[in-house]
Amino acid sequence: MAAYHVVMIHFPIALWMVSALAILIRALSAGPLGQAMDRALPVFLVLGALFGAVAFLLGISIWPWETLSSTPMGRNHMLTASWSLTYFTLLAVIRLVHGDRIWEGLSRWVMVLLAGIGVALVGITGTLGGHLVGNYTEVGQFVRILGWEIYTTYYVPNLTLLIIAAVSVVLVGIAFVGRGRANA
Amino acid sequence: MTNSRLLGATALFCGALLVAWFTHGTGIVKNDPERSISIPDRLTVPLQVQAAYNDTTMFFRYRWPSDRPGIFHDVVRYEDGKWITEGNAMPGSNPAGMHEDRVAMMLDDGSVPEFSRYGGYIAIGAGLAGLTEQAPEEVTKYLPMTRNQLGKWDDKAPDETQANLRAAGYFLDLWHWRGGRSNPVGQADDQNVGTGRDGDEGTGSYSSNWDGDLKQPKVMFDVATAGYKALNWEEVSGGKVSQDSVYALIEGATVPFDPNAGWKNGDVLPRRILKPATGSRGDIGVVGQGRWTDGYWDVTLSRALDTGHPLDDKILHDHGTYDVAFAIHRDATGGRWHYVSLPQSLGLAHQADIMATRITGAQPEWSDTWSDVTLFYPGQVTWPMLNSAAHAGAASIAKGVPVKFRHSPEQLTHYGIEREFKDEIRRQWLLTLLAGVALIIAFGVALNASIASRKGA
Repeated sequence: MAAYHVVMIHFPIALWMVSALAILIRALSAGPLGQAMDRALPVFLVLGALFGAVAFLLGISIWPWETLSSTPMGRNHMLTASWSLTYFTLLAVIRLVHGDRIWEGLSRWVMVLLAGIGVALVGITGTLGGHLVGNYTEVGQFVRILGWEIYTTYYVPNLTLLIIAAVSVVLVGIAFVGRGRANA
Repeated sequence: MTNSRLLGATALFCGALLVAWFTHGTGIVKNDPERSISIPDRLTVPLQVQAAYNDTTMFFRYRWPSDRPGIFHDVVRYEDGKWITEGNAMPGSNPAGMHEDRVAMMLDDGSVPEFSRYGGYIAIGAGLAGLTEQAPEEVTKYLPMTRNQLGKWDDKAPDETQANLRAAGYFLDLWHWRGGRSNPVGQADDQNVGTGRDGDEGTGSYSSNWDGDLKQPKVMFDVATAGYKALNWEEVSGGKVSQDSVYALIEGATVPFDPNAGWKNGDVLPRRILKPATGSRGDIGVVGQGRWTDGYWDVTLSRALDTGHPLDDKILHDHGTYDVAFAIHRDATGGRWHYVSLPQSLGLAHQADIMATRITGAQPEWSDTWSDVTLFYPGQVTWPMLNSAAHAGAASIAKGVPVKFRHSPEQLTHYGIEREFKDEIRRQWLLTLLAGVALIIAFGVALNASIASRKGA
């Protein structure tokens, strides 16, 4: 499955990178180019999510769970891949549900922020994938400089898990408050 | 109002990401003596090596950093009428600074096929002493084929098979220089690794200076030659005893212990009596004396190319190619709390990772050209684990892919430490993965609601 994963992963990477570029251009410009980017964006994002899901499934079938979950680089690759897929799937859903309204007000810059974080995540995921198959790059060194030794498993302590859980609850709460006021 | 909610949600989301970034990797990896876990502050240490040989003798010179000279292995200290042992083995560094510094080198001639590819990892079988999952009895390093099954430390191959393996050269020669127990008598401990880590035939260089019946030392320093009957604890534990002084109890230069010699608190005697090793075990000599100067050990060992002990030693030949792997103990550590190297090739008069220069004199005149080797703390990585489903590279090992092809020392030290906390880290990683996904989805819900409320407004 490893070879097929390598073949397949290039499609979502390309689609997500183009999507991020499209989001940036549309956020900066409402002109013809920006409008064209916005029309193409749902296609890129949906195809990216679909190809990404297939590549993800191929990826986690390369090794048994015992192997994948015991290997620091395997763990890290799976973690960042999971987050990358979730990120860009979120962008796809938001764009499909709300259409070009996402470019109004603050949400356009939130889209840019999310796309930026997604690009960074995909970049790190690809770097870790390269390391897994023995193709080392200096991107790993850059991540180290930012504070993560990529040869160690990325995990957070229990207190941080609690903070993330609390923030998640608050975010959902904000959503319900917003919905309640809109319906009022 | 919608914008302010979205701004707040975005700030919370980004804040959570930042907290996750700045706190990652904390909370799990820590010393745990109950599980024999002690992680050194420094994970890699440089070792410099030179090699040379003449018609009869092989020379190796080693140089490595050490904050202080570990020239005592263990001692007995007089305190309020009793002699207390200082220097018991423990996970990590001995707080009193007891436990000798060491440099060790495993050497093979190709008879142990995996050694050139995986070095000392092949000798780390299941159940070794010092591992969190150590066997109920003391198990030392052993080679895979000396057991009937991988991972079964107590399932030894039959004696006949062991003898045949040995005759076929299936063992590693182990040169083991000890700062406290061999250096003072000008030797390194000549050992080997096969069924276990054993001394070569003959007698070793150290014995106990403790009379268990009388609960007192057997011998003490001879005031006539040493100038004192005992050392002082402050100087011993502070690393202030000079190598130029008499600091070891060498047989023939001691006197029987006198319990009425006026002992006072803080008097110290080495817990070992030294004498030159004999037979095959005494094959390796120290050229000059292993010296610690300005933060570095500088040790030169020599041994006959052909010791005449082919069942204990790897016989070396002009223009031969061999494999070596190194280890050092420093910072008053023992057991598995050492730094090790990946396997290196050794070429006698030809290019290799370490090239031994052919000389014509009795001893080499060393140049400033060294072979640099990175040593690393190996954590708890066993050969059975490396060949199991827990190691993604098990298939590569089965294909014979050398460790150096896929891993660096810097990488391996982190992997080795993570193995010491394998269950905790796996659990925390999985929770982190799920928490991240939940956070992204929660933010998506907030973003969706924010945009939807604007649409409806």
